[in-house]
Amino acid sequence: MLALSDFLILSALLFSISIAGIFLNRKNVLILLMCIELLLLAVNINFIAFSYYLGDTAGQVFVFFVLTVAAAEAAIGLAILVVLFRSRRSINVEDLDALKG
Amino acid sequence: MLLFAATMVVTRRNPVQSALFLVLTFFCTSAIWLLLEAEFLAITLVLVYVGAVMVLFLFVIMMLDVDVAAMRAGFVRYLPIGLLVAIAMVVQLVMVVGPQRFGLDKVAAPIRHAADYSNTEELGQLLYTVYMYPFEIAAFILLIAIVAAISLTLRRRKGVRHQDISKQVRVKRDDRVRLVSMQAEERDD
Amino acid sequence: MSFDHTMLYLTAPEITLALLASAVLLLDSFLKPSQRVLTYIATLLSLLIVFMVTFATHVDSSLMAFDGQYIRDPMSDVLKLSLFVLMAFVFVYAKDDLRRRGSERGEFYALGLFALLGMMIMISAASFLSLYLGLELLALCLYALVAFQRNSASGSEAAMKYFVLGALASGLLLYGISMVYGATGQLGFAAIAERLQQGQVDAVVMSFGLVFVVLGLAFKLGAVPFHMWVPDVYQGAPTSVTALIGSAPKVAAFAMAMRILVDALPSMQEQWQLMLIILAVLSLAVGNIVAIAQTNIKRMLAYSTISHVGFILLGLIAGTTVGYASAMFYALVYALTALGGFGLLMFISRQGFDAENLHDLKGLNERSPWYALMMMLVLFSMAGVPPTVGFFAKLAVLDAIIRVDLLWLAITAVIFSVIGAFYYLRVIKMMYFDKAECSEPLQASTDTRFALSLNGLAMIGLGIMPSALMSVCASVFA
Repeated sequence: MLALSDFLILSALLFSISIAGIFLNRKNVLILLMCIELLLLAVNINFIAFSYYLGDTAGQVFVFFVLTVAAAEAAIGLAILVVLFRSRRSINVEDLDALKG
Repeated sequence: MLLFAATMVVTRRNPVQSALFLVLTFFCTSAIWLLLEAEFLAITLVLVYVGAVMVLFLFVIMMLDVDVAAMRAGFVRYLPIGLLVAIAMVVQLVMVVGPQRFGLDKVAAPIRHAADYSNTEELGQLLYTVYMYPFEIAAFILLIAIVAAISLTLRRRKGVRHQDISKQVRVKRDDRVRLVSMQAEERDD
Repeated sequence: MSFDHTMLYLTAPEITLALLASAVLLLDSFLKPSQRVLTYIATLLSLLIVFMVTFATHVDSSLMAFDGQYIRDPMSDVLKLSLFVLMAFVFVYAKDDLRRRGSERGEFYALGLFALLGMMIMISAASFLSLYLGLELLALCLYALVAFQRNSASGSEAAMKYFVLGALASGLLLYGISMVYGATGQLGFAAIAERLQQGQVDAVVMSFGLVFVVLGLAFKLGAVPFHMWVPDVYQGAPTSVTALIGSAPKVAAFAMAMRILVDALPSMQEQWQLMLIILAVLSLAVGNIVAIAQTNIKRMLAYSTISHVGFILLGLIAGTTVGYASAMFYALVYALTALGGFGLLMFISRQGFDAENLHDLKGLNERSPWYALMMMLVLFSMAGVPPTVGFFAKLAVLDAIIRVDLLWLAITAVIFSVIGAFYYLRVIKMMYFDKAECSEPLQASTDTRFALSLNGLAMIGLGIMPSALMSVCASVFA
């Protein structure tokens, strides 16, 4: 039988991978966006695991809304990416140097 | 399997491969959610993410035609710091959520639901009663996503040929057909 | 769930705004570009209507609706009413700026109104779920607005940075929320506070969740060390959008901090107090010192925002009703001041030219003495020079801090704001004593001129009589 901690550790690992991914892929915005999806996925696993072991559906409802928002976010993120690509002909983060910071 | 796929997502050179590995990650996660008796969400994850969001991702990748080779020059440079951050986080997180706090002896596994239990039905009941207010807000978030995505990327270019339906319907016979009265030519023979 | 008309009565402001914003969006799609002014008028009318609806349905005690998803109390009413006023200023200033850039499109007004709806939802959130959704509604509108000028490379670059960091922040916030949910089994703020009071909650998991929540919060507020996005976004976005981002959302972020820290986690006050002290001191230091080195005025104002966020946090740190009231007062005053600053910046900009660098302000006094005076009032208020209102806002926060025996913190804040006063005074010197580089007269429509004058005079008017607004702020926490 799987314990709650197993699921939480899985989600923690996934969370760490995605944070590391954000650090590693500073050059490619597309993969950055995918890392953000992974991050939200880790959060969702957490919520569903808690909701199952606490016997409370509220967590699942939260996941439902996170999924909705994440889809909307991906749409807007990709739209911005397309605009950026049109004006720059590149999505390499290191080319993004017009703004220092 | 899930972790392997997730690692591949962040380390692949080619964004297309990353995206496909992300799809694999989503499938694995959805299986895990089935284990946790969240059937509705597991199916939604596959339908919405694999079906829609990832297709969008792939579409954009193909459309942008990214120069893959130049993409990865600095990857090794960030590897040590990335790994360091990841390991530090894993240690921290596992200490908090490890078995001594959330083990089986602390949080007992709940009884599995009977066969006629419907996860979808229960979620639906909640969504349209208790969580109606967030549900309405979510509708507006989606509306914003549509408006923003269209207003950001739609460009009316000059010189693009397209149909103007109302113009086509409104067209009159005189606009298209010109009746020319010509003098009959004389026969040669 | 019992559905009755009191619920509709309580949520009337949100429902009205949602309908009106959709109507503006719909109206705009039927208008020709030359009729865009109708969208503008409709937007201002909707703000007026929502203002009246909110005022007519105001409440004296805190009431819940939608099964603990929604809360309406005097604090939310005051904050919402002031948001309407702030947004009206934003739209008036933005109209000329958008037209000048040739990018006046109706989506700006619709997205602005939806952003306002998101802020209202945040202010009235009574559970993590509605808070998160309101936050995302606001954030998605802002991402789109920053990228609004499609042919501007810096705009889309700023939007991308804002988007990635913002999404990361909400990821962290969500992870924190999931920890809190795991520890307490609740999502509603009141229910979480109750669970914590009973004391059967794992303290380690809870404080872990708190760390992530505060991280996400600091990102959204733009406090150091999570401030990297602020200067880039301020500089890259069109000035009209910067005015929107720099003003009203700060008020909403204050409400968000209040709801999470004070409504949901009051029993963990010692822990979050410590974290906020670190954030506040760093923000004050970095904000004021780095601002001196800036030559771009939008970046300078961005760093000044960071230091002002430090002050708002100071008020929260005090942890008393006086402290909360002073933080609220500060947030409102700051939003109004920043709006005045950005409004004047748009006013100085001309066709095909943005006033961005400090030397564009040189000799403003020769070109237009009246607006130079307005700019001076705004800058004085930011620096905290009496008798402008900024002075009283700083005074109220410091007073609240000293009352809880954090004298060293108050002294630090004073030292850094004295350093900060230097760069505001440098700008004033440029306006009055340097030669103008161009002598073109400034032009703007009547409503913009009127709003700018009103905004500038409000600085001094509220400065002479700060007690009116202050007593309103104090009364909501009584």
